[in-house]
Amino acid sequence: MRFKKAAAKNIYKYIIAYFVLWVLLFEFILPVNNILPKPSVVLMSFGALWSYYKLPYNFIITISAVYLSIIIAYYLTSLLSAYIIRRNHFVYDFLSSLHWFTTYVPAIIFGIFFIYWLPGSAYIEYLFAFLIALFSIVIKVKEEAVKIKREYIDSAVSLGAGNDVIAKKVIWKSMQPAIVDYLIALQFKIWSVLIVFEFIKGGYGLGRIYRLALDYKDLSALFTVSVITGVIIFIGAQLIKYFKNKFYRWSLD
Amino acid sequence: MIREILLELKNISKAVHGLAGSKVRILDKVSLQINKPAQAGQIISLLSASSQELTTLLKILSAVEKPSEGEVILSGKAYNKPEGKIAFIPSNPSSFPWLNVKQNVEFALNTVEDTGSKVSEAILLTGLESYEEHFPDDNSLGFRFRISLARAIAAGPEIILLDEPLKNLHGETKKEIFNLIKDVAQKINVTFIIASTNISDSILLSDRIILMKRHPGRLADTIDIDKSKDVNVHSDYYNSVKTEIDKLLLSYENVPLK
Repeated sequence: MRFKKAAAKNIYKYIIAYFVLWVLLFEFILPVNNILPKPSVVLMSFGALWSYYKLPYNFIITISAVYLSIIIAYYLTSLLSAYIIRRNHFVYDFLSSLHWFTTYVPAIIFGIFFIYWLPGSAYIEYLFAFLIALFSIVIKVKEEAVKIKREYIDSAVSLGAGNDVIAKKVIWKSMQPAIVDYLIALQFKIWSVLIVFEFIKGGYGLGRIYRLALDYKDLSALFTVSVITGVIIFIGAQLIKYFKNKFYRWSLD
Repeated sequence: MIREILLELKNISKAVHGLAGSKVRILDKVSLQINKPAQAGQIISLLSASSQELTTLLKILSAVEKPSEGEVILSGKAYNKPEGKIAFIPSNPSSFPWLNVKQNVEFALNTVEDTGSKVSEAILLTGLESYEEHFPDDNSLGFRFRISLARAIAAGPEIILLDEPLKNLHGETKKEIFNLIKDVAQKINVTFIIASTNISDSILLSDRIILMKRHPGRLADTIDIDKSKDVNVHSDYYNSVKTEIDKLLLSYENVPLK
């Protein structure tokens, strides 16, 4: 624990050092270059990002797609946990067979098909993000189900608890901290896939801003949006950690 | 007075898959008969050098696992589906860390009718009345055992199986749990069957000790502890029983227990 805190402190020190280095190097020593933008230009580019690139609107689209899909998928999994966890069930086998495909075909390829099938739909991005979230969480549940402490299950079985009660009140509850932890990695995965999805599809969303900035060779817009994206993902991760510590804090020994 | 038969094991055998597809026999034709306790509860210890065989036997008794052969009969009826009448408490902590003490005990109500009274009674019996809102993961192994015991009691079983309840406990906590088991057994009409690898604990705690041979597990001898005599580690009676058990165990395999 102490080591983790020390490591986090060191990381922040490095981030501050990079920031100072960037200001010194690109504001004063190499003001004109094609590697990173000048800090003062980045500050000035906020206005253009706000009005021309419609930053708030596009960010809200992507943020809502990422986090709504995770929240809905998590609660749906929670509601259906008994069906998902119980082995030899149709849902379980069906998902296992789909899992086989996703082992070899990257998620974005499915996204390209979605764009092809429904090119004009405004909701296709939400549906795509939701399916990635749901599928990923269900697969994680399937993986975690075999790691549950045998003692919990044995004692519940001996008390006469049925399969549904054991799946929902013992196995699902037991794995919840691990599932919530996994949401941090999942949000990163969905952010990455969605940015590429929006980049290809065009129309709206963060990927659209990246595409416009590339088309206009606007290095400062690219840089600023990248930093904001990173900050939002960081805040998302901290929020998930907070919820985990507040509501799912039990350890499994 | 003839007492009714509470539990009967008829030729229980269990084989599991070993290396390279071979079958390993863990239990071999275990037969046993336990009568209902005369007044208060009774404590019976199953003593063996093999924890795995003891655990498997307890799981079969509670219908958590199925035997390869044989059957378990509880109060005259086959007990092959877990119904909460034989509650099993594993050796590692089994109280749920996501529920507080009261919710843990209430979990037993998933399977039985009622009742707040059963929960309150179980909490009182196990000395947890001041800790109803506490969570198990904040606390010691002894505390977690109390919760598991309270949950088992709330289910209203006829038999409670304890898998090496004192194994990882030391000092004061071990003494507390030891006294708790004795105390609860005197207060409620439940038979405790305790799996143990510790001779001393078994003598001090039990009314009856059943010795098991190992590889595969087989019941060998039964020793009744005379509770009218002074049973403590310094007493002559204790030493004579311990010597007898030592001799028997040595005769089975020449490997002394702890």
